[in-house]
Amino acid sequence: MTAAPRVRADRQAEAVVKAARAPLAARALDGLAHGVFVFDDKLRVQLISRPMLGLLGFTREAVPVGHALAAILERSTGFSAAAAVLQLCAQSVGGDGPTQTHRLDLAGGAAVAMRVCRIAPRRWLAEFEPLAAMPPAEAPAAALSGSDPLTGLADRQAVRERLEAALARRPVLGRPQVVSFRLDLDGFKAIGDSLGEPVADALLRAVADRLRSALRFEDIVARVGRDEFLILQESPEHVTPEAIAARLLDLLGRPYILHGNLLNVGANIGHASAPADCSNAEDLLRCADLALRQAKASGRGKSLAFEPAMQARAQARLALEQDLRKALALAQFELHYQPQVSLHTGRLAGFEALLRWRTPDRGLVSPLEFVPICEELGLIKPIGEWVLRAACQEAARWPDGIRVAVNVSAPQFEAPSRLVAAVRTALARSGLPGGRLELEITESVLLQPGLATLEALHAIRDMGVRISMDDFGTGYSSLTQLQSFPFDKIKIDRSFVSGAAGPEGAAIVRAVAALGASLGMAITAEGVETGEQLDRIRADGCTEVQGYFFGRPVPSHDIDGLIAALALRREPAEA
Amino acid sequence: MAGGTHARTHRIVYCSRNALRGSHDAIEAEIRQILEKSRANNHRDGITGALLFSSGSFVQVLEGPIAALERTFETIQRDPRHRDVTVLQIAESNRGFPAWSMAFAGNTAGGSCPAAEAAMSAALADPSAASGEQLLSVLRTLVVREDDWALAS
Repeated sequence: MTAAPRVRADRQAEAVVKAARAPLAARALDGLAHGVFVFDDKLRVQLISRPMLGLLGFTREAVPVGHALAAILERSTGFSAAAAVLQLCAQSVGGDGPTQTHRLDLAGGAAVAMRVCRIAPRRWLAEFEPLAAMPPAEAPAAALSGSDPLTGLADRQAVRERLEAALARRPVLGRPQVVSFRLDLDGFKAIGDSLGEPVADALLRAVADRLRSALRFEDIVARVGRDEFLILQESPEHVTPEAIAARLLDLLGRPYILHGNLLNVGANIGHASAPADCSNAEDLLRCADLALRQAKASGRGKSLAFEPAMQARAQARLALEQDLRKALALAQFELHYQPQVSLHTGRLAGFEALLRWRTPDRGLVSPLEFVPICEELGLIKPIGEWVLRAACQEAARWPDGIRVAVNVSAPQFEAPSRLVAAVRTALARSGLPGGRLELEITESVLLQPGLATLEALHAIRDMGVRISMDDFGTGYSSLTQLQSFPFDKIKIDRSFVSGAAGPEGAAIVRAVAALGASLGMAITAEGVETGEQLDRIRADGCTEVQGYFFGRPVPSHDIDGLIAALALRREPAEA
Repeated sequence: MAGGTHARTHRIVYCSRNALRGSHDAIEAEIRQILEKSRANNHRDGITGALLFSSGSFVQVLEGPIAALERTFETIQRDPRHRDVTVLQIAESNRGFPAWSMAFAGNTAGGSCPAAEAAMSAALADPSAASGEQLLSVLRTLVVREDDWALAS
């Protein structure tokens, strides 16, 4: 160890010399069994040994030369004597007394003897000797609490403690007090699935190292889920959170070569600042999380800052979910019925039952808005069963020969036997003959793996129930799907009928109608609104129509009137 | 040199775009520094290879034991002085530059090597092993012919 240079004129040169020497000296210190560090009169750490880093709970990173001891102790995880160490070092700088030894009790019952001695003008050495009472194996374990064993990053607990401490401090004027970044990887699961967990673990370590390399020493980087990370920056200077996020996205998105594999992953980031966005620890973490969810919804590789509107949206969504969970019990669902007319006879063939949700506060809510949420929440099964029961009950009182069509969505086929039982019960309770019920399924139903879906469809068809393929042309539209099950009917999506799809749309209608005729399936054109459209799809060979031209969906109490009106229209429809 | 002639070696070929800004002199100084640093580290780690700098793009070949290559590649990825990294090749392979810790080809003063650029744009349009191989052979001729000032290792 050399004395501090007397000439202070060229501080730059001093720093360079120090940087050049430090690694060598630090390596020499690493040979010592005890943890040691060297600090100066400004309480800046000039050298620190590897065993000392271990004692402080740093597993994979180096401490930059000249860093404030207070900041290093602050960043340490699981080291319970930080305050005492700082105090003893400060006392040594203040007084010029002889070497002193202090006992420090650590978490988990361990203890170390801390000795501080002056080794040069304005240079002191702090040494930490484990006391005999301390079982050697326990020291690292105690030091490692609060850190993630895989990556050496902080864990959720450490984040919470640090965040609360940071929020309790007086903010630096003109800077955010704390910025929290929430980050998760995109495409991580596929890597674990295809290349195995060791490669996935190596990727997480590389991501952790890239994050650390791009951030300040005093920033907290934590892993809080399998591939989820959290970063805390206290009073960041100069650089905006947007710029940090952009830098991190760029860095993490660069290729990785691990275990001989070339890997690419992306990331999304959400960030929030205190006190601008929120003032307490819990809110700050939640705001960053909300921003992350919004960033993910807007695409891969995006970052977003928290905005109050996100909170409003999240709350609105939560309220909608809560209302939906109660809707069935409060009997807020109702069915509206839209007529389907046969082009051969011009007669009413049946009605499609369409789900509506009405609440006192919201009025009538569009199914486009609530059905996807019901599917996500797993509510679609009980609601679907209610629809089956209610539709069969309603149809049972209609004149003979008029069918009711009920939509069944893909999640309902996740429990195929439950669906079969629901159909059987609905028919039995209402007394509706199976031949007057029709189930409309979309192509996505047939994409479910395994034979259970097809078996359920056959079991339902064995009850006399007709099965139709809904929205044909909008999904995967594979012709092999038409072959996989003997559908009774294909419903051509409205987009091909309205003319929006142009001449190609008309060609598709003709082709599907011809296909249906040769496979013995009825063809229904949806969304027929005008006489011209009706003439066209009749010429194209469709067998049934549905659309505003014959009637909008009506509540059940208007059905009798609609049946009568359609009976009067029979002649013109045939003309 | 660690790695030896009998040990299994891999090769990584990648290209990236320069993110350095400043005068030609400043960029040249920066690239000299990159070369010096990488030569020292590569010599220590048993890695050989070549670096091409042309019209604002880098192409680098790294060869050596896979574990050391992966560590070096990861360090390079963290470097903010370049961006848009495209890996053209990673494969087990003999060393193409056994004598160089990091050979250098290119004109740091902002000029270009037409042959290298043609190979580079072909490789970027079709980042396959074959285009990486093509780029490698162009690079090899360039290193031998043009490296005037930086081939000191």
